[in-house]
Amino acid sequence: MPLLITLVISVIVMLSRITTGPVPVIGISLPELFEGYISPWMTVVSAFALCLASVNLIMVHSGNISRKRQDWVYSLILLATLIIYGAFCTYVELNPNNETAAANYSLIYNYILSPLMTGQWACLAFYVASASYRAFRARNLEATVLLISAILVMLGAAPVGSLIWSRFPTIQQWLLDVPNMTGQRALLIGAAIGSFVACLRTMLGIERSHLGIGGSS
Amino acid sequence: MEKMQNVDTRIIYIVLLIVLSVPLLRPIGIPMQISPMTRAVYDIIEGLNPEKDVVLLSMDYSPGAGLDAEVCPVAVVEHLMQRGIKWIAISFGTTDGPMMTNRIIADLEQRGYKYGEDFANLGYMAGEENAVRLFALDCLSVPTDVRGNKTSELPVMQGIKTIKDFAFVIQFSMGTPEMWIRQVVDPMGVLFATGTVTVSVPSIVPYYNSGQVKGVMGGVSSAAQYELLCNKPGRGAAMMDAQSMGHLIIIFFIALGNIGYFMSKKGKETPPSK
Repeated sequence: MPLLITLVISVIVMLSRITTGPVPVIGISLPELFEGYISPWMTVVSAFALCLASVNLIMVHSGNISRKRQDWVYSLILLATLIIYGAFCTYVELNPNNETAAANYSLIYNYILSPLMTGQWACLAFYVASASYRAFRARNLEATVLLISAILVMLGAAPVGSLIWSRFPTIQQWLLDVPNMTGQRALLIGAAIGSFVACLRTMLGIERSHLGIGGSS
Repeated sequence: MEKMQNVDTRIIYIVLLIVLSVPLLRPIGIPMQISPMTRAVYDIIEGLNPEKDVVLLSMDYSPGAGLDAEVCPVAVVEHLMQRGIKWIAISFGTTDGPMMTNRIIADLEQRGYKYGEDFANLGYMAGEENAVRLFALDCLSVPTDVRGNKTSELPVMQGIKTIKDFAFVIQFSMGTPEMWIRQVVDPMGVLFATGTVTVSVPSIVPYYNSGQVKGVMGGVSSAAQYELLCNKPGRGAAMMDAQSMGHLIIIFFIALGNIGYFMSKKGKETPPSK
Protein backbone atom coordinates (compact mmCIF):
# COMPACT_ATOMS: atom_id res chain seq x y z
CA MET A 1 0.00 0.00 0.00
CA PRO A 2 2.70 2.59 0.89
CA LEU A 3 4.45 1.76 -2.40
CA LEU A 4 1.20 2.33 -4.30
CA ILE A 5 0.67 5.70 -2.56
CA THR A 6 4.26 6.68 -3.40
CA LEU A 7 3.78 5.73 -7.06
CA VAL A 8 0.40 7.48 -7.47
CA ILE A 9 1.47 10.69 -5.73
CA SER A 10 4.77 10.90 -7.59
CA VAL A 11 3.06 10.35 -10.95
CA ILE A 12 0.52 13.10 -10.14
CA VAL A 13 3.29 15.50 -9.09
CA MET A 14 5.31 14.77 -12.23
CA LEU A 15 2.32 15.12 -14.55
CA SER A 16 1.10 18.28 -12.79
CA ARG A 17 3.98 20.17 -14.36
CA ILE A 18 3.27 19.04 -17.92
CA THR A 19 -0.53 18.68 -18.19
CA THR A 20 -3.51 21.02 -18.21
CA GLY A 21 -7.27 20.53 -18.24
CA PRO A 22 -9.52 18.53 -15.92
CA VAL A 23 -9.02 14.81 -15.39
CA PRO A 24 -12.33 13.06 -16.36
CA VAL A 25 -12.94 11.06 -13.18
CA ILE A 26 -12.00 13.63 -10.54
CA GLY A 27 -13.14 16.74 -12.42
CA ILE A 28 -10.12 18.95 -11.65
CA SER A 29 -6.74 19.32 -13.36
CA LEU A 30 -3.61 17.70 -12.02
CA PRO A 31 -1.91 21.08 -11.34
CA GLU A 32 -4.99 22.04 -9.26
CA LEU A 33 -4.90 18.70 -7.47
CA PHE A 34 -1.22 19.16 -6.62
CA GLU A 35 -1.44 22.82 -5.63
CA GLY A 36 -4.76 22.56 -3.78
CA TYR A 37 -4.32 19.28 -1.93
CA ILE A 38 -0.97 17.51 -2.15
CA SER A 39 1.18 20.59 -1.58
CA PRO A 40 -0.63 21.65 1.65
CA TRP A 41 -0.50 18.03 2.90
CA MET A 42 3.24 18.01 2.40
CA THR A 43 3.57 21.17 4.50
CA VAL A 44 1.54 19.59 7.31
CA VAL A 45 3.65 16.41 7.14
CA SER A 46 6.81 18.54 7.32
CA ALA A 47 5.50 20.28 10.44
CA PHE A 48 4.88 16.88 12.01
CA ALA A 49 8.43 15.89 11.11
CA LEU A 50 9.65 18.69 13.39
CA CYS A 51 7.59 17.21 16.25
CA LEU A 52 8.96 13.77 15.44
CA ALA A 53 12.51 15.12 15.69
CA SER A 54 11.75 16.50 19.17
CA VAL A 55 10.22 13.19 20.28
CA ASN A 56 13.25 11.31 18.96
CA LEU A 57 15.60 13.68 20.78
CA ILE A 58 13.68 13.19 24.05
CA MET A 59 13.72 9.39 23.69
CA VAL A 60 17.47 9.19 22.96
CA HIS A 61 18.51 11.52 25.76
CA SER A 62 16.03 10.11 28.29
CA GLY A 63 17.70 6.75 27.66
CA ASN A 64 21.12 8.28 28.29
CA ILE A 65 19.94 9.74 31.61
CA SER A 66 18.06 6.68 32.89
CA ARG A 67 21.01 4.38 32.10
CA LYS A 68 23.51 6.97 33.36
CA ARG A 69 25.62 6.59 30.25
CA GLN A 70 28.86 8.55 29.85
CA ASP A 71 28.28 12.35 29.90
CA TRP A 72 24.60 11.82 30.80
CA VAL A 73 24.62 15.19 32.54
CA TYR A 74 24.81 16.89 29.12
CA SER A 75 21.71 14.99 28.06
CA LEU A 76 19.99 16.30 31.19
CA ILE A 77 21.00 19.89 30.36
CA LEU A 78 19.79 19.42 26.78
CA LEU A 79 16.40 18.06 27.84
CA ALA A 80 15.94 20.74 30.51
CA THR A 81 16.78 23.44 27.96
CA LEU A 82 14.46 21.90 25.38
CA ILE A 83 11.53 21.72 27.78
CA ILE A 84 12.00 25.16 29.38
CA TYR A 85 12.69 26.97 26.11
CA GLY A 86 9.92 25.06 24.31
CA ALA A 87 7.39 25.88 27.03
CA PHE A 88 8.47 29.54 27.03
CA CYS A 89 8.19 29.73 23.25
CA THR A 90 4.72 28.12 23.31
CA TYR A 91 3.55 30.63 25.91
CA VAL A 92 4.86 33.54 23.81
CA GLU A 93 3.17 32.16 20.68
CA LEU A 94 -0.16 31.70 22.48
CA ASN A 95 0.01 35.17 24.06
CA PRO A 96 1.26 37.48 21.30
CA ASN A 97 0.10 40.56 23.24
CA ASN A 98 2.29 39.82 26.28
CA GLU A 99 5.22 42.03 25.30
CA THR A 100 7.23 41.36 28.46
CA ALA A 101 7.25 37.61 27.83
CA ALA A 102 8.20 38.18 24.18
CA ALA A 103 11.02 40.54 25.23
CA ASN A 104 12.37 38.00 27.73
CA TYR A 105 12.17 35.25 25.13
CA SER A 106 14.16 37.44 22.70
CA LEU A 107 16.62 38.16 25.50
CA ILE A 108 17.43 34.44 25.88
CA TYR A 109 17.75 34.06 22.13
CA ASN A 110 19.80 37.19 21.48
CA TYR A 111 22.10 37.08 24.48
CA ILE A 112 22.58 33.36 25.19
CA LEU A 113 21.80 31.20 22.16
CA SER A 114 22.92 33.57 19.45
CA PRO A 115 26.39 34.43 20.92
CA LEU A 116 27.03 30.72 21.55
CA MET A 117 26.23 29.80 17.96
CA THR A 118 28.10 32.78 16.53
CA GLY A 119 31.10 31.99 18.74
CA GLN A 120 31.16 28.44 17.46
CA TRP A 121 31.20 29.74 13.87
CA ALA A 122 33.95 32.24 14.71
CA CYS A 123 36.15 29.41 16.03
CA LEU A 124 36.25 28.10 12.46
CA ALA A 125 38.59 30.96 11.54
CA PHE A 126 41.21 29.50 13.88
CA TYR A 127 40.71 25.94 12.70
CA VAL A 128 40.88 27.06 9.06
CA ALA A 129 44.11 28.98 9.70
CA SER A 130 45.72 25.99 11.40
CA ALA A 131 44.39 23.46 8.86
CA SER A 132 45.51 25.60 5.89
CA TYR A 133 49.01 25.87 7.32
CA ARG A 134 49.28 22.08 7.72
CA ALA A 135 47.42 20.93 4.60
CA PHE A 136 48.51 23.37 1.88
CA ARG A 137 51.89 21.88 0.95
CA ALA A 138 53.08 21.87 -2.67
CA ARG A 139 53.78 18.11 -2.60
CA ASN A 140 52.72 17.44 -6.20
CA LEU A 141 51.22 19.25 -9.22
CA GLU A 142 47.59 18.97 -8.06
CA ALA A 143 48.42 20.25 -4.56
CA THR A 144 50.42 23.13 -6.08
CA VAL A 145 47.51 24.17 -8.34
CA LEU A 146 45.17 24.05 -5.32
CA LEU A 147 47.61 26.06 -3.21
CA ILE A 148 48.10 28.78 -5.83
CA SER A 149 44.33 29.00 -6.50
CA ALA A 150 43.61 29.30 -2.79
CA ILE A 151 46.12 32.12 -2.35
CA LEU A 152 44.83 33.98 -5.41
CA VAL A 153 41.21 33.69 -4.21
CA MET A 154 42.16 34.85 -0.71
CA LEU A 155 44.02 37.86 -2.08
CA GLY A 156 41.21 38.65 -4.53
CA ALA A 157 38.51 38.44 -1.87
CA ALA A 158 40.22 40.69 0.68
CA PRO A 159 40.60 44.46 0.06
CA VAL A 160 44.30 44.22 0.87
CA GLY A 161 44.76 42.05 -2.25
CA SER A 162 43.74 44.84 -4.62
CA LEU A 163 46.01 47.18 -2.69
CA ILE A 164 48.97 44.87 -3.40
CA TRP A 165 48.02 44.36 -7.06
CA SER A 166 44.84 45.69 -8.65
CA ARG A 167 44.42 42.56 -10.84
CA PHE A 168 43.92 40.12 -7.91
CA PRO A 169 40.09 40.62 -7.82
CA THR A 170 39.94 40.09 -11.61
CA ILE A 171 41.91 36.85 -11.31
CA GLN A 172 39.69 35.73 -8.42
CA GLN A 173 36.56 36.44 -10.47
CA TRP A 174 38.01 34.50 -13.43
CA LEU A 175 38.76 31.52 -11.17
CA LEU A 176 35.14 31.64 -9.92
CA ASP A 177 33.63 32.14 -13.37
CA VAL A 178 35.63 29.63 -15.39
CA PRO A 179 37.33 26.70 -13.59
CA ASN A 180 35.00 26.81 -10.59
CA MET A 181 31.84 27.09 -12.66
CA THR A 182 32.90 24.24 -14.95
CA GLY A 183 33.38 21.96 -11.97
CA GLN A 184 30.20 23.14 -10.22
CA ARG A 185 28.08 22.57 -13.34
CA ALA A 186 29.49 19.07 -13.78
CA LEU A 187 28.65 18.35 -10.14
CA LEU A 188 25.15 19.82 -10.47
CA ILE A 189 24.34 17.81 -13.58
CA GLY A 190 25.74 14.64 -12.01
CA ALA A 191 23.73 15.22 -8.82
CA ALA A 192 20.57 15.92 -10.85
CA ILE A 193 20.92 12.66 -12.79
CA GLY A 194 21.65 10.82 -9.54
CA SER A 195 18.59 12.24 -7.78
CA PHE A 196 16.42 11.43 -10.83
CA VAL A 197 17.57 7.82 -10.66
CA ALA A 198 16.93 7.74 -6.90
CA CYS A 199 13.42 9.16 -7.45
CA LEU A 200 12.70 6.62 -10.15
CA ARG A 201 13.84 3.77 -7.89
CA THR A 202 11.60 5.08 -5.09
CA MET A 203 8.64 5.50 -7.46
CA LEU A 204 8.96 1.97 -8.78
CA GLY A 205 9.38 0.49 -5.32
CA ILE A 206 12.93 -0.71 -5.89
CA GLU A 207 14.23 1.58 -3.15
CA ARG A 208 12.30 0.95 0.08
CA SER A 209 14.55 2.27 2.82
CA HIS A 210 12.25 5.31 3.31
CA LEU A 211 9.57 2.89 4.52
CA GLY A 212 11.90 1.52 7.17
CA ILE A 213 11.86 -1.99 5.67
CA GLY A 214 15.50 -2.35 4.71
CA GLY A 215 17.42 -1.30 1.61
CA SER A 216 16.64 -1.95 -2.01
CA SER A 217 15.03 -5.23 -3.00
CA MET B 1 63.34 23.38 9.03
CA GLU B 2 61.14 21.01 11.03
CA LYS B 3 60.12 23.93 13.26
CA MET B 4 58.90 25.89 10.25
CA GLN B 5 56.70 22.96 9.30
CA ASN B 6 55.40 22.31 12.77
CA VAL B 7 54.52 25.63 14.35
CA ASP B 8 52.52 25.05 17.52
CA THR B 9 48.77 25.43 16.90
CA ARG B 10 48.52 27.69 19.97
CA ILE B 11 51.01 30.14 18.41
CA ILE B 12 48.91 30.25 15.20
CA TYR B 13 45.77 30.90 17.25
CA ILE B 14 47.36 33.68 19.32
CA VAL B 15 48.91 35.40 16.28
CA LEU B 16 45.58 35.22 14.42
CA LEU B 17 43.66 36.54 17.43
CA ILE B 18 45.99 39.55 17.71
CA VAL B 19 45.99 40.21 13.98
CA LEU B 20 42.16 40.08 13.84
CA SER B 21 41.62 42.14 17.00
CA VAL B 22 43.87 45.12 16.23
CA PRO B 23 42.07 46.28 13.01
CA LEU B 24 38.69 45.77 14.71
CA LEU B 25 39.76 48.14 17.48
CA ARG B 26 41.68 50.55 15.24
CA PRO B 27 40.35 50.28 11.63
CA ILE B 28 42.90 50.95 8.89
CA GLY B 29 40.40 51.82 6.14
CA ILE B 30 41.76 49.74 3.25
CA PRO B 31 39.88 50.76 0.04
CA MET B 32 37.56 48.16 -1.49
CA GLN B 33 36.57 47.22 -5.03
CA ILE B 34 32.87 46.59 -5.65
CA SER B 35 32.11 43.14 -7.03
CA PRO B 36 29.74 43.02 -10.05
CA MET B 37 27.60 40.41 -8.26
CA THR B 38 27.05 42.75 -5.29
CA ARG B 39 26.47 45.79 -7.50
CA ALA B 40 23.76 43.83 -9.36
CA VAL B 41 21.70 43.54 -6.14
CA TYR B 42 22.16 47.26 -5.46
CA ASP B 43 21.13 48.19 -9.01
CA ILE B 44 17.96 46.09 -8.81
CA ILE B 45 16.84 47.84 -5.61
CA GLU B 46 17.79 51.24 -7.06
CA GLY B 47 15.50 50.45 -10.00
CA LEU B 48 12.43 49.70 -7.84
CA ASN B 49 9.52 52.08 -7.44
CA PRO B 50 8.91 53.03 -3.77
CA GLU B 51 5.32 53.98 -4.56
CA LYS B 52 4.14 50.52 -5.50
CA ASP B 53 6.91 47.92 -5.24
CA VAL B 54 7.16 45.43 -2.36
CA VAL B 55 10.19 43.18 -1.81
CA LEU B 56 10.14 39.67 -0.32
CA LEU B 57 13.02 38.62 1.93
CA SER B 58 13.40 34.90 2.56
CA MET B 59 15.34 34.80 5.83
CA ASP B 60 16.83 31.32 5.88
CA TYR B 61 19.85 31.67 8.15
CA SER B 62 20.57 31.19 11.83
CA PRO B 63 23.12 32.68 14.25
CA GLY B 64 25.12 29.50 13.60
CA ALA B 65 26.32 31.11 10.37
CA GLY B 66 27.67 34.05 12.33
CA LEU B 67 27.93 37.62 11.16
CA ASP B 68 28.92 36.35 7.72
CA ALA B 69 25.23 35.67 7.09
CA GLU B 70 23.71 38.45 9.16
CA VAL B 71 25.44 41.52 7.74
CA CYS B 72 24.07 41.08 4.19
CA PRO B 73 20.34 41.34 5.07
CA VAL B 74 21.09 44.23 7.42
CA ALA B 75 22.78 46.14 4.57
CA VAL B 76 19.98 45.36 2.08
CA VAL B 77 17.21 46.30 4.53
CA GLU B 78 19.02 49.58 5.23
CA HIS B 79 19.00 50.30 1.50
CA LEU B 80 15.29 49.41 1.23
CA MET B 81 14.46 51.75 4.10
CA GLN B 82 16.62 54.52 2.60
CA ARG B 83 14.57 54.26 -0.58
CA GLY B 84 11.24 53.88 1.23
CA ILE B 85 10.54 50.45 -0.26
CA LYS B 86 8.22 48.14 1.69
CA TRP B 87 9.29 44.59 2.46
CA ILE B 88 7.97 41.35 3.88
CA ALA B 89 10.08 38.62 5.48
CA ILE B 90 9.34 34.91 5.72
CA SER B 91 11.47 31.88 6.56
CA PHE B 92 11.49 28.45 4.97
CA GLY B 93 14.95 27.04 5.64
CA THR B 94 15.31 27.43 9.40
CA THR B 95 13.13 28.12 12.42
CA ASP B 96 15.67 30.79 13.46
CA GLY B 97 14.68 33.02 10.55
CA PRO B 98 11.85 34.90 12.30
CA MET B 99 14.09 35.71 15.28
CA MET B 100 16.82 37.00 12.98
CA THR B 101 14.22 39.19 11.26
CA ASN B 102 12.96 40.46 14.61
CA ARG B 103 16.48 41.68 15.41
CA ILE B 104 16.47 43.85 12.28
CA ILE B 105 12.89 45.00 12.93
CA ALA B 106 13.64 46.00 16.56
CA ASP B 107 16.27 48.46 15.31
CA LEU B 108 13.94 49.87 12.63
CA GLU B 109 11.07 50.36 15.08
CA GLN B 110 13.38 52.31 17.40
CA ARG B 111 14.05 54.60 14.45
CA GLY B 112 10.35 55.26 13.89
CA TYR B 113 9.51 52.86 11.07
CA LYS B 114 6.08 51.22 11.40
CA TYR B 115 5.55 47.48 11.62
CA GLY B 116 2.79 46.36 9.29
CA GLU B 117 3.04 49.46 7.11
CA ASP B 118 6.72 49.51 6.12
CA PHE B 119 7.51 45.85 6.72
CA ALA B 120 6.16 42.64 8.23
CA ASN B 121 7.49 39.34 9.49
CA LEU B 122 5.39 36.34 8.45
CA GLY B 123 7.41 33.85 10.50
CA TYR B 124 8.45 30.31 9.67
CA MET B 125 6.63 28.05 7.22
CA ALA B 126 7.46 24.34 7.51
CA GLY B 127 8.05 22.24 4.41
CA GLU B 128 11.12 23.88 2.85
CA GLU B 129 10.91 23.50 -0.96
CA ASN B 130 7.24 22.56 -0.90
CA ALA B 131 6.43 25.48 1.39
CA VAL B 132 8.20 27.84 -1.03
CA ARG B 133 5.95 26.63 -3.83
CA LEU B 134 2.83 26.84 -1.69
CA PHE B 135 3.62 30.39 -0.59
CA ALA B 136 4.53 31.39 -4.15
CA LEU B 137 1.11 30.34 -5.40
CA ASP B 138 -0.82 31.80 -2.47
CA CYS B 139 0.95 34.32 -0.25
CA LEU B 140 -2.07 34.43 2.07
CA SER B 141 -1.57 30.73 2.89
CA VAL B 142 0.25 32.08 5.97
CA PRO B 143 -2.80 33.17 7.99
CA THR B 144 -1.04 35.29 10.65
CA ASP B 145 2.30 37.04 11.13
CA VAL B 146 4.64 36.57 14.12
CA ARG B 147 2.63 39.14 16.13
CA GLY B 148 -0.68 37.39 15.59
CA ASN B 149 -2.00 39.92 13.04
CA LYS B 150 -4.05 38.58 10.14
CA THR B 151 -1.78 38.55 7.10
CA SER B 152 -4.59 39.64 4.79
CA GLU B 153 -5.22 42.74 6.96
CA LEU B 154 -1.62 44.00 7.07
CA PRO B 155 -1.31 47.25 5.07
CA VAL B 156 1.99 46.09 3.57
CA MET B 157 0.33 42.93 2.23
CA GLN B 158 -2.39 44.77 0.32
CA GLY B 159 -2.28 43.80 -3.34
CA ILE B 160 -0.08 40.77 -2.66
CA LYS B 161 -1.66 37.49 -3.69
CA THR B 162 1.06 35.47 -5.37
CA ILE B 163 4.83 35.73 -5.53
CA LYS B 164 4.49 37.53 -8.88
CA ASP B 165 3.11 40.53 -6.98
CA PHE B 166 6.53 41.08 -5.40
CA ALA B 167 8.81 43.28 -7.48
CA PHE B 168 11.91 41.49 -6.24
CA VAL B 169 12.68 38.40 -4.15
CA ILE B 170 15.93 37.94 -2.27
CA GLN B 171 16.88 34.93 -0.19
CA PHE B 172 19.38 35.21 2.67
CA SER B 173 20.66 31.79 3.56
CA MET B 174 23.64 29.73 4.65
CA GLY B 175 23.67 27.68 1.47
CA THR B 176 22.50 27.74 -2.12
CA PRO B 177 19.13 28.83 -3.55
CA GLU B 178 18.21 25.73 -5.62
CA MET B 179 14.76 25.38 -4.08
CA TRP B 180 13.85 28.94 -5.10
CA ILE B 181 15.20 28.41 -8.60
CA ARG B 182 13.31 25.13 -9.08
CA GLN B 183 9.99 26.24 -7.58
CA VAL B 184 9.76 29.97 -8.28
CA VAL B 185 12.41 31.52 -10.51
CA ASP B 186 12.21 29.17 -13.50
CA PRO B 187 8.49 28.33 -13.51
CA MET B 188 7.21 31.80 -12.50
CA GLY B 189 9.85 34.15 -13.87
CA VAL B 190 10.46 36.11 -10.66
CA LEU B 191 13.31 38.63 -10.32
CA PHE B 192 15.55 36.87 -7.81
CA ALA B 193 18.87 37.42 -6.01
CA THR B 194 20.56 35.77 -3.08
CA GLY B 195 22.75 36.57 -0.10
CA THR B 196 24.74 33.82 1.52
CA VAL B 197 27.86 33.01 3.51
CA THR B 198 31.18 33.46 1.70
CA VAL B 199 31.92 29.74 1.34
CA SER B 200 28.70 29.15 -0.62
CA VAL B 201 29.41 31.74 -3.32
CA PRO B 202 31.31 29.37 -5.68
CA SER B 203 28.27 27.05 -5.73
CA ILE B 204 25.97 29.93 -6.76
CA VAL B 205 28.17 31.27 -9.58
CA PRO B 206 26.65 28.88 -12.21
CA TYR B 207 23.17 30.24 -11.45
CA TYR B 208 24.40 33.84 -11.58
CA ASN B 209 26.15 33.35 -14.90
CA SER B 210 23.08 31.63 -16.36
CA GLY B 211 20.93 34.64 -15.33
CA GLN B 212 18.66 32.69 -13.00
CA VAL B 213 20.09 34.55 -10.00
CA LYS B 214 20.39 38.25 -10.85
CA GLY B 215 22.73 39.19 -8.02
CA VAL B 216 24.78 37.51 -5.31
CA MET B 217 25.93 38.82 -1.95
CA GLY B 218 28.59 36.70 -0.30
CA GLY B 219 29.27 37.29 3.36
CA VAL B 220 31.00 40.17 5.09
CA SER B 221 32.92 41.44 2.06
CA SER B 222 29.74 41.85 -0.02
CA ALA B 223 27.95 43.51 2.88
CA ALA B 224 30.86 45.93 3.26
CA GLN B 225 30.77 46.74 -0.45
CA TYR B 226 27.00 47.22 -0.26
CA GLU B 227 27.33 49.58 2.70
CA LEU B 228 29.80 51.64 0.68
CA LEU B 229 27.41 51.74 -2.29
CA CYS B 230 24.71 53.06 0.06
CA ASN B 231 27.19 55.58 1.55
CA LYS B 232 26.52 54.17 4.99
CA PRO B 233 29.49 52.13 6.27
CA GLY B 234 28.37 49.72 9.00
CA ARG B 235 29.45 46.50 10.64
CA GLY B 236 30.50 44.91 7.33
CA ALA B 237 32.94 47.69 6.46
CA ALA B 238 34.32 47.67 10.00
CA MET B 239 35.20 43.99 9.69
CA MET B 240 36.93 44.14 6.32
CA ASP B 241 40.32 45.29 7.61
CA ALA B 242 40.32 42.36 10.03
CA GLN B 243 39.44 40.02 7.17
CA SER B 244 42.32 41.38 5.07
CA MET B 245 44.78 40.91 7.90
CA GLY B 246 43.41 37.43 8.59
CA HIS B 247 43.93 36.42 4.96
CA LEU B 248 47.47 37.81 4.97
CA ILE B 249 48.45 35.93 8.12
CA ILE B 250 47.02 32.66 6.74
CA ILE B 251 49.04 33.18 3.53
CA PHE B 252 52.11 33.90 5.66
CA PHE B 253 51.73 30.62 7.57
CA ILE B 254 51.11 28.67 4.34
CA ALA B 255 54.28 30.19 2.84
CA LEU B 256 56.22 29.41 6.04
CA GLY B 257 55.12 25.78 5.98
CA ASN B 258 56.05 25.41 2.31
CA ILE B 259 59.47 27.04 2.74
CA GLY B 260 60.16 24.64 5.60
CA TYR B 261 58.93 21.70 3.49
CA PHE B 262 61.13 22.51 0.48
CA MET B 263 64.20 23.27 2.55
CA SER B 264 63.92 20.01 4.48
CA LYS B 265 63.35 18.15 1.17
CA LYS B 266 66.44 19.76 -0.31
CA GLY B 267 68.42 18.88 2.81
CA LYS B 268 67.44 15.20 2.48
CA GLU B 269 68.32 15.10 -1.26
CA THR B 270 71.79 16.68 -0.76
CA PRO B 271 74.33 14.00 0.31
CA PRO B 272 76.06 14.87 3.57
CA SER B 273 79.52 16.42 3.01
CA LYS B 274 82.50 14.43 4.36
